[in-house]
Amino acid sequence: MPDVEARERLLAAALADYVDRQAREEPIDPENFCRLHPDLAEDLLPQLEALADIDRLTEPPEPPPTPERLSGYRILSEIGSGGMGRVYLALDERLGRKVAIKTLSPRYADNPALRERFMHEARAMARLVHPNIARIYSLGPDGEPPHFVMEHVEGAPLADAARALTLRQKAELMRKVALAVEFLHQHQVIHRDLKPGNILVGPDLEPKLLDFGLALDVADRAGRLTHPGEVVGTPDYFSPEQARAESPLDARSDVFSLGTILYELLTGALPFPAATPAQQMRKICEEDPVLPRRIDPSLPGDLQNVCMKALEKDPANRYGSAREMAADLERFLAGEAVVAAPASYSRRMGGKVAQHLQELEGWRQDQILSDSEYDALRKGYDRLTEREDAWIMEVRRLSLPQVSLYLGAWILVVGAALMVLFRYAQLSGSAVVLVVSAATLPTLWIGIRSWKSDQHRIAVAYLLAFCLLLPVALLVAMGEYGAFAGFTQGKENLELFSKLPAFKRTTNAQLWWAMLLSLPAYYWLRRFTRASVFSLVFAVMTALVALATLLRLGMLEWIDNDPGRPYFYLIPCALLFLALGMALERLRATSDSRYFYPIAVVFTIVALTGVVTFHEPYAKWLHSAAPWTRGQLEYLFILNAGLYFALQTLCERFRSAQMRAVAKAFRFLIPGHVMTSLLLLGLEATARWEKSPANGAMRLEARLFELLLPLVACGFVFGSIPKQMKNFFASGLFFLAVGIVRLQQNFFKDQAMWPAGLLAVGLVLMLAAARYAPLKLALARWWRR
Amino acid sequence: MGVPTSSFDLVEKVQGGDREAFSGLFRKYSRRLAVLIHYKLGEELRGSREVDDILQETLLRAFRDIGQFHYRAPGSFLSWLSSIADHAIVDAARYEGRERRRAAELEPLSQVPEPADTKTPSRLLAQKEDVARLLERLDALPADYRQAILLAKIEGLSTAELAERMGKSREAAALLLHRAVKRFRELTGGA
Repeated sequence: MPDVEARERLLAAALADYVDRQAREEPIDPENFCRLHPDLAEDLLPQLEALADIDRLTEPPEPPPTPERLSGYRILSEIGSGGMGRVYLALDERLGRKVAIKTLSPRYADNPALRERFMHEARAMARLVHPNIARIYSLGPDGEPPHFVMEHVEGAPLADAARALTLRQKAELMRKVALAVEFLHQHQVIHRDLKPGNILVGPDLEPKLLDFGLALDVADRAGRLTHPGEVVGTPDYFSPEQARAESPLDARSDVFSLGTILYELLTGALPFPAATPAQQMRKICEEDPVLPRRIDPSLPGDLQNVCMKALEKDPANRYGSAREMAADLERFLAGEAVVAAPASYSRRMGGKVAQHLQELEGWRQDQILSDSEYDALRKGYDRLTEREDAWIMEVRRLSLPQVSLYLGAWILVVGAALMVLFRYAQLSGSAVVLVVSAATLPTLWIGIRSWKSDQHRIAVAYLLAFCLLLPVALLVAMGEYGAFAGFTQGKENLELFSKLPAFKRTTNAQLWWAMLLSLPAYYWLRRFTRASVFSLVFAVMTALVALATLLRLGMLEWIDNDPGRPYFYLIPCALLFLALGMALERLRATSDSRYFYPIAVVFTIVALTGVVTFHEPYAKWLHSAAPWTRGQLEYLFILNAGLYFALQTLCERFRSAQMRAVAKAFRFLIPGHVMTSLLLLGLEATARWEKSPANGAMRLEARLFELLLPLVACGFVFGSIPKQMKNFFASGLFFLAVGIVRLQQNFFKDQAMWPAGLLAVGLVLMLAAARYAPLKLALARWWRR
Repeated sequence: MGVPTSSFDLVEKVQGGDREAFSGLFRKYSRRLAVLIHYKLGEELRGSREVDDILQETLLRAFRDIGQFHYRAPGSFLSWLSSIADHAIVDAARYEGRERRRAAELEPLSQVPEPADTKTPSRLLAQKEDVARLLERLDALPADYRQAILLAKIEGLSTAELAERMGKSREAAALLLHRAVKRFRELTGGA
């Protein structure tokens, strides 16, 4: 028994020795080892053989032998192995040229479905002939392992080749690659594996695409990205939808990969560097890459735009096709501005801007910033966040294409308007409706199409033309088919066009309906394009509808009987727009509300001015209530100024920047109203007094106004301080001078003391201002004593 | 093990940026790693998470981190891979747990269907019938015998490392290994 135990211990020691030698990768085999322990060999050998058995079972799979010939071509060497098999360099002995032969790994070749698919794809590829895509020459015959013969491209992988290239050459190269990818897409092939390694660049700088469509199709079928043990596919160039394993992928997935490649060409770095594949996937799906210009400030912003546009997370924000990306690269090469306006920019700024605004708000509360400074900065930030309308800058630039575009649109609209205004014998009835519709609908269609393909500059011209054409077309149709042809309140003299006998008759009702029916279209365009210009169109058209409503209520009759009444009815319109503006601002549609406020302001001013000027009952009321005013217009204007003051005080109470702007607009009017009225009243009073110099009351009134004007002017000069109203200051100075001259004319006639005194006052004031603080303190001390 | 394929050379080449060498390195170790992962996964995870998934993830991570690997001994590369596999499994289990919790939250009453086949064999392991037989035989061993063989033969540890890993003296570990191999051989004979 102890013998058995001792032997077992010896056996265990020998086995341990063997295992340790193996762990050190020493060359050793069981039989040789047993010779070292002849007495144990009998028991040891079977054990070692069992271990060798395990080694044999876990040996790496044998790489398949390189075949001698495939498709009759002599195999020269292996030039690579990918996810689906090996690639050999072979010689076509008859033509004396080198070819590449791609094989399907035996692992896949065993699967008849995969094998069939491989050959099917290769057959489909063979039909694609493009100078920038490696050609497939032939498919392997049935008797041989599955393979196909393709063009052997001599060149360097894109990333290596690009290192020595200029920016323009890189852009040109990428343009060609994008066009080749577009060619694939047009033949319903999605590449799925675009990466610099799959794009070879020849010495003539012509890129060639390899490996399209096949690799991952096969892998998808097998249910894996790549097979363990093969070169591991890196997800560096995956699109977010690829990373999420969504299917089916569309052309825009390849666009993302093109963006990644462009990024790498431009910056030399990958947009989504990561330590692990999982992190990589997350970054691709969630993080915005570092802007290329942050890495290399010498890169043109336009190329960055192209790159970031292709790298948008949401496929809908990317280029719709590789062709669009190629077109933008072409624009860059032609020295034109690119179309791309990456949405990621505003996203990138959005968060930061919110922080800045918060800080600004804080500074305002700390009173480091004045309200007006805050408003100005805020306005600047608002402009920044609305940069999705960056193309607007381009729209505003007067270039030849731009001018031509709008000239064309304008002529189109004027031409259509002629058809509303005049009747043509040769073109009437359905024909004219057809002609106008034929002009209107295509503008909409072209506009929407251009917008969708990101040609915003052009799209807006078409859509704006459509906005003007739509009511015109509706009017033409209503005119020709006699819709809403009844007169307002049955009276022809209430019709706007009855005052314009030269024109074709269009009723107020038709005008009203045409404009009203256009509103939903503008609303939709605003929603569709998110361009605020359509808010402007909407707001203006709403204002016109409001005016047309007044027309239908009988405005023309009022003008004949009581010219002030239309202005009176404008007041509710003004209130309506103010309310609309406030409601929109409450709904956080600040870029929409900003068009309603100015209309409200204009309506208010026109209404109040019109009422005091034309509304006779108002003047009569003033006359009876305050006889000393004699019902004079100027007093009414001063009353209006009081109203504006009340309004601005009211508007200031709202905590909204746009309301503050409204308040400022009202405030702006006050000095002009007040001081002009005072001047006119003064002149009239003086004239009256001069007619009857004996009248003491008239003399007093004249003198009063003479003194009042410079005093009020001084009041406005100082009144400019709290709200920083520069126009208070300027108009105050102006009317002060006028007042001084008037005093000189009447009060201090021929008195040299007057100008001399003015000199002294001016000088004292300036000196006092220069020593303001000590003076103020001294005064305060004197006061306390 | 010839000179050109020694793991040291291959690791050197891969760290020098040679993707082909990487392929060779993994071809060399993929089977052993698959067997290791098969047993690391344990019964509960083996069904839903295939060995191949973990293997794939392990290789991807290894490819990324190859720069951090320092060659110490012939077996150290496989040990390194093995520890990466451990991490991958922990992550997968965590993910699995979260998914399961989420599924439970979503449909607390519905019955979560059992995986159809809890012994889904790895495709890599199934490729060679012999490997499947190897797994069968390893399965038939008592747990500590199997552990000893896995560590010594699959992970390629020396007996000293084996002893340390199993918390035994070197002698006890050697004896355990001897008994394990003896039982394993008997199973072979029986098969």
